[in-house]
Amino acid sequence: MWWVADADPASGGDDPDGDAPDAAAAAADSDATGASGSAGAVIVPVEPSSTLRSTVAHVAEAAAADGASAIHLVEIASWRNGDPESEERAAAAERVLERAAAWTTADLDDSEAPAAPDVEVVTAVLGADDYLFGADDYVRVLAEYAEANDADRVVLDPEYTPVGNTTLLQPLEFALSNTPLSVETAPVDRPTRRERFRTEATTGRFVALFGLSLAFYLLLGNPTYWFDAVTGVATAAIVSITLSRVSLDSNPAIPRTPMRILRGLIYVPVLLFEILKANLVVARVILDPRMPIEPTMNRMRVIVGSGLPLMTLANSITLTPGTLTVRARDSDLYVHSLVPWAREGLFDGSLERWTRFIYYGRRSARLPTPRERDDVAILQGPDATEELPIAAAAGGVVDASDAADGIDAADASDGSISSDDASDEVTDR
Amino acid sequence: MTAAAATETARVWLVVALTLLGLFFSFVSMVGVLRLPDVYSRAHTASQADTLGAGFGLAAVAITVGLAGAGFKSVLLLFFIFVTNPTAAHAIARAAFEEGIVPWIEGDDRR
Repeated sequence: MWWVADADPASGGDDPDGDAPDAAAAAADSDATGASGSAGAVIVPVEPSSTLRSTVAHVAEAAAADGASAIHLVEIASWRNGDPESEERAAAAERVLERAAAWTTADLDDSEAPAAPDVEVVTAVLGADDYLFGADDYVRVLAEYAEANDADRVVLDPEYTPVGNTTLLQPLEFALSNTPLSVETAPVDRPTRRERFRTEATTGRFVALFGLSLAFYLLLGNPTYWFDAVTGVATAAIVSITLSRVSLDSNPAIPRTPMRILRGLIYVPVLLFEILKANLVVARVILDPRMPIEPTMNRMRVIVGSGLPLMTLANSITLTPGTLTVRARDSDLYVHSLVPWAREGLFDGSLERWTRFIYYGRRSARLPTPRERDDVAILQGPDATEELPIAAAAGGVVDASDAADGIDAADASDGSISSDDASDEVTDR
Repeated sequence: MTAAAATETARVWLVVALTLLGLFFSFVSMVGVLRLPDVYSRAHTASQADTLGAGFGLAAVAITVGLAGAGFKSVLLLFFIFVTNPTAAHAIARAAFEEGIVPWIEGDDRR
């Protein structure tokens, strides 16, 4: 289709999704393009934004002028294949890509630059096999794709926000600057300058937040008293005007949103029971004169989406006594456990399955436990399987046996220190 | 004893039992904060046993005042605690982790 065959013979009959491994193999044995075009390929991450059209026009013009070998229009998946709705969202992404490709081709045809007809237009959907969490993940996916396709430049749409429902704490541009790719933001006029951390305001979000705050206000007051009704409407209006772009990151939808709330209600008693059970175990450990605790730091890679699902899971883990979420680094949760019992319960992944049940439904909740998936690691103690990713900074706690290394500790890599700790631990026994 | 008086007595005892349970878990939480070795394990017990302590306390309040009026608000309060408590514990633990504090493990000298 869009994948022009002369660039890489191996993937001539391939699907337009451009699976990374195939493309990598293809790029390895095709250096033919290098001779014709002076510059390599350009990658343009695509999202349906207000400036997509002008970005595409700019890219086509620049590529034709520089003699770039190809323009790769890529959409980074905001879904994970196999999740509910993933098919619709993949189809929507294909439509956007198709439109962008049509624009690019038209612009190239209109271009007067002699090299214009040699520029091929390629589209691809990237990263649909995994949940992507932050700028680092996007950059990793983009860099792999660039490597596989001999691309050396990324042109960003100024309005580009990868994955509509994710707030990036670290701008994509900054993360991209750590790669060999050169990055450029398309110099196009942007209609309005929006602040970061804000998602788009939509009627659905506004109405949902208005209803929620009004209901909450009336619950606290007296719903039948006219004064409360009037002040409630005013308060809810203020809340929804100021916060509807901040507090909700996806549009409420029927039947998805009510179903999530219903399934969440089912989860509440389950969680309460888990809390009670674990609390009894932990209370016994604390009150035991010998206090038989065996705390360790653990890592668990979880398969839930970023944002609200991850927050629900991390909060549930922390609520359950004996386990405490310390860090969430993309899909890796660093969880401190007080007793091995709590750790084993964590690795059995029942909370993860419940979170998936709430957000994605019953079918998606059936997945192997993190232990079966080999997504768990113990970072401390005699059973440690991985090093603790902590920088024992100066002033950080290094125990007596390491005191001699204290001066080196500041500039030594974090891994070596924690492995010292681990080996001391083993020899002590 | 009439039926109404019997339910009233049962209600009072239920409130007493829930209050005692709440006190027990708050006590455990306090003992844990004093006994446990490092910031991570203390963050566990400071937030968690407390959640149940506050939970039973609020349940006692709800039954005392009746679910119709203020009792409902205590359920909302419980919801609030269940959202904010783990968040605070996470913030403390995360700050400690970023400071580079290595979690205490068995055999560690520091207490």
